[in-house]
Amino acid sequence: MELKLTKSTVRSIYKAVISIALALVVTSVLFIATGANPILAYYYIFVGAFGNLNLTVETLVRTTPILLVSLGLAIAFKCKVWNIGAEGQLYMGAMAGTITAVSLGNSPLTLPASILVAILGGMAWAAVPALMKTKLGINEVITTFLMNYVAIYFVQWLLSFPFRSPDTLFPESAQVPQAAVLPILLPTTRLHLGVVLAIAVALPLVYFLMIKTTFGYKLRAVGENPEAARFGGINVSRTIFLALVLSGALAGIAGLFEVSGIQFRMRGSLSPGYGYTGIVVALLGQNNPIGVFLSSIFLAAIFNGSSTMSRVLNQPQGVVDFIQGVLVIFVLGSEYIMRYLEKKGVFKA
Amino acid sequence: MPLSPIFFKKTKFEVEKVSNASTESDSVTRSDHSIFVRGIRKTYPNGVVANQDVTFSILRGEVHALLGENGAGKTTLVKILSGCLTPDSGEILVNGRSVRIEDPIKAVKLGIGMVHQHFTLIPTFTVAENIALSLSLSGRLNLDAVKGKIKEVSKNLTLEIDPDARIEQLPVGLRQRVEILRLLCQDVDILILDEPTSVLTPLEVEELFKTIRRLKSKGRSVIIITHKVKEALAISDRITIMRGGRVVKTLPTISTNEAELAALVVEGFASSLRVDRGKPGEPVLMVKNLSVKGKRGEMAVKGVDLVLHAGEILGIAGVAGNGQKELVEALTGLRRIESGTSLLKTCDLTNRPPKFIIRKGVSYIPEDRIRRGVVLSMSVSENLALKNFEEQPFSKNMVINRESIDRYASDLISKFGIRASDPCATVSSLSGGNIGKLVVARELSNGANIVVAEQPTAGLDVKASEAVHQKLMELRSKGVAALLISADLDEIIKLSDRIVVMYGGKFVGEFTHDSLDIQKLARLMLGSA
Ligand SMILES: Nc1ncnc2c1ncn2[C@@H]1O[C@H](COP(=O)(O)OP(=O)(O)OP(=O)(O)O)[C@@H](O)[C@H]1O
Ligand SMILES: [Mg+2]
Repeated sequence: MELKLTKSTVRSIYKAVISIALALVVTSVLFIATGANPILAYYYIFVGAFGNLNLTVETLVRTTPILLVSLGLAIAFKCKVWNIGAEGQLYMGAMAGTITAVSLGNSPLTLPASILVAILGGMAWAAVPALMKTKLGINEVITTFLMNYVAIYFVQWLLSFPFRSPDTLFPESAQVPQAAVLPILLPTTRLHLGVVLAIAVALPLVYFLMIKTTFGYKLRAVGENPEAARFGGINVSRTIFLALVLSGALAGIAGLFEVSGIQFRMRGSLSPGYGYTGIVVALLGQNNPIGVFLSSIFLAAIFNGSSTMSRVLNQPQGVVDFIQGVLVIFVLGSEYIMRYLEKKGVFKA
Repeated sequence: MPLSPIFFKKTKFEVEKVSNASTESDSVTRSDHSIFVRGIRKTYPNGVVANQDVTFSILRGEVHALLGENGAGKTTLVKILSGCLTPDSGEILVNGRSVRIEDPIKAVKLGIGMVHQHFTLIPTFTVAENIALSLSLSGRLNLDAVKGKIKEVSKNLTLEIDPDARIEQLPVGLRQRVEILRLLCQDVDILILDEPTSVLTPLEVEELFKTIRRLKSKGRSVIIITHKVKEALAISDRITIMRGGRVVKTLPTISTNEAELAALVVEGFASSLRVDRGKPGEPVLMVKNLSVKGKRGEMAVKGVDLVLHAGEILGIAGVAGNGQKELVEALTGLRRIESGTSLLKTCDLTNRPPKFIIRKGVSYIPEDRIRRGVVLSMSVSENLALKNFEEQPFSKNMVINRESIDRYASDLISKFGIRASDPCATVSSLSGGNIGKLVVARELSNGANIVVAEQPTAGLDVKASEAVHQKLMELRSKGVAALLISADLDEIIKLSDRIVVMYGGKFVGEFTHDSLDIQKLARLMLGSA
């Protein structure tokens, strides 16, 4: 992978760092208001995320779904397609994959087949708003977002009735067969194969797709100037369709890995909002796969570290959501902050 | 975004150094100058020095033309004067007082306003609404007061305009008038016009010049940038020539002439273009009974027939808005054809997607280069490969070969004299004319059979224009057919083997180069025979 630090890359890094710094400053105010020492709070968040090998592995495990979702969203966002529906796509992919795994039983094909079907499930769910956008011109922000609710309630219905587990009392699926489980790579931890697949396969693939292929070129051209892209002979609708559907595919994988690597059953509470966290991560990483990778580790660390922090300092767990919200605001505002700083001469423009 | 000032104070430093040095030694006293700038230097973030040691002045009630080749730094200089850019160093005096112009609002307060080359009006708003946007920066919107102000200003200067007209319904010339009126309503004394004539028809140019003369008679000053030496001679009192970011010379208009100016603009330039006529061959493009709808659903092209031969340049003359744009878009696959057919040799192009038509060898130079011709945030080489990045050797099995794209780009950059710091620079860092050159370079180099060219030389300097004309004729001699749509009648007449006149969505007349009757052509363009 080439890592050329061009001026605009450096600027992107500044933007991300400034956003994070400001978000942490604002969150400190929250800590002070609730009577905690912010320095100590951040210390425990760090310790909770990276304090020992097991905690570090847990952070990587948490990184996996966030990374997969946000890589997909980076593809969509690069093309200026605002997919807010990764959460729903994640659920539909996971559900479809789980049904496949449960019905195939213990066969060597079970794992690959369930991954494939999860991809198709996520794609199909994204294809609906994609078609609505490209054929009817309906704004994808609204459709993708609303379809999250449809997906989640639909999955809950499936888990309550047709696919309810025969052996537990909860609305959840049967346990997936052993053949569908992602193998553990480091004994006594939860480091499953999916973590490696996400970081060592999905990440480079998406990088390659976005930076090195004609599709990546089209994504950028359509995102930056759809009219010029059309004049240049690029099929704008098809590019938008593919961008949205690909992001659905990655969300679907993210969902399935949570089932086959962590929960071993499909549940209505499978995701604590990874589909939304992915949005924050893609924005923070500025749709650059490497930026997205670093940002997803960061958010995973906040996720995991916060529970330690809240136990030790007796603070509410909700700080995760708070930081995410504040981050979005600052990331979106970071372009203006940067321009302000450049005008004031803090950074050289 | 409000930021705590303490937070960043330590690292803050001033970029601009405004000296208070006196200018007593200058021959003209300060108060004669509306603006006097000295020692201006501007470096862009990518290290390009676009202005260096620029000294320039504009007198009260003067029309001052700014000439210079593409990338000479003209736009940069006027953007500094109008507060869009801040210089690295140098001094600006307005009415004898040293000032800092941080932003366009400050510029307007100082009485300086600029009309950008690319219009900034909101198309769906009316004239009055657009002007109100820049007037009432606070408080309630009082449209009637705005209309009153517009009436007052336009009556004063006999600049007729209907304040209730929607911008999108106005022809380019009138839109420009609205831009000017908007500044005048803000009591601007010094108007800066960046290449106002490049997309105007000769008649519209005449109207604009009348406006400028009226402004001048009321004591206002005008800075006008143009690439047409004739225009500079016709309208200005003084002319400043820039080259390579420096001022080469400022001279009174009466003491110079066309040849001298051309040679000053492009060092040692002397026209070497030999215009010859083509030898039209087989028909390549056959259009039958073509009807196309316009943006608002009206029939814009009404049953047009057209045959274009290999090795022929066919000019379409006409006032903008008579269906030329819709015709061209239909031929290039960008707009639906309602009825009729478009045939390339034996291949039916009717309502095929743009990509299909591009693959068949139809090139298109759109008039609106910025919106339709380039992706500003992408690199020069990526933009040069916009139409063939999916072909070998630029990509293979979907994998882009950056080296070959860069090599191809470097070749075009030098062939067409595009001024770019390097092939990886973003197009947004190019000057207006160089963006034009980029689009022309791309469209004339991809082995097309047919070139559809809208205003191919708008915004290009004399040398670049001549190079484009040369290239068009070279292609013609190789059997390429060209459809030339231009507001510049001189250009059409010079290059075309045949000219058709378009009016009200129809072809109303046809001339061969030898049977040309300019008077009649002009009458046909206006719809009277
Ligand atoms: N935003 C930018 N970033 C970097 N370089 C720039 C930028 N804008 C202009 N330049 C460079 O500065 C130089 C002067 O540009 P400028 O736009 O002032 O030229 P110009 O005289 O107006 O030319 P034209 O006749 O083509 O409009 C050019 O070399 C151009 O490439
Ligand atoms: Mg310019």
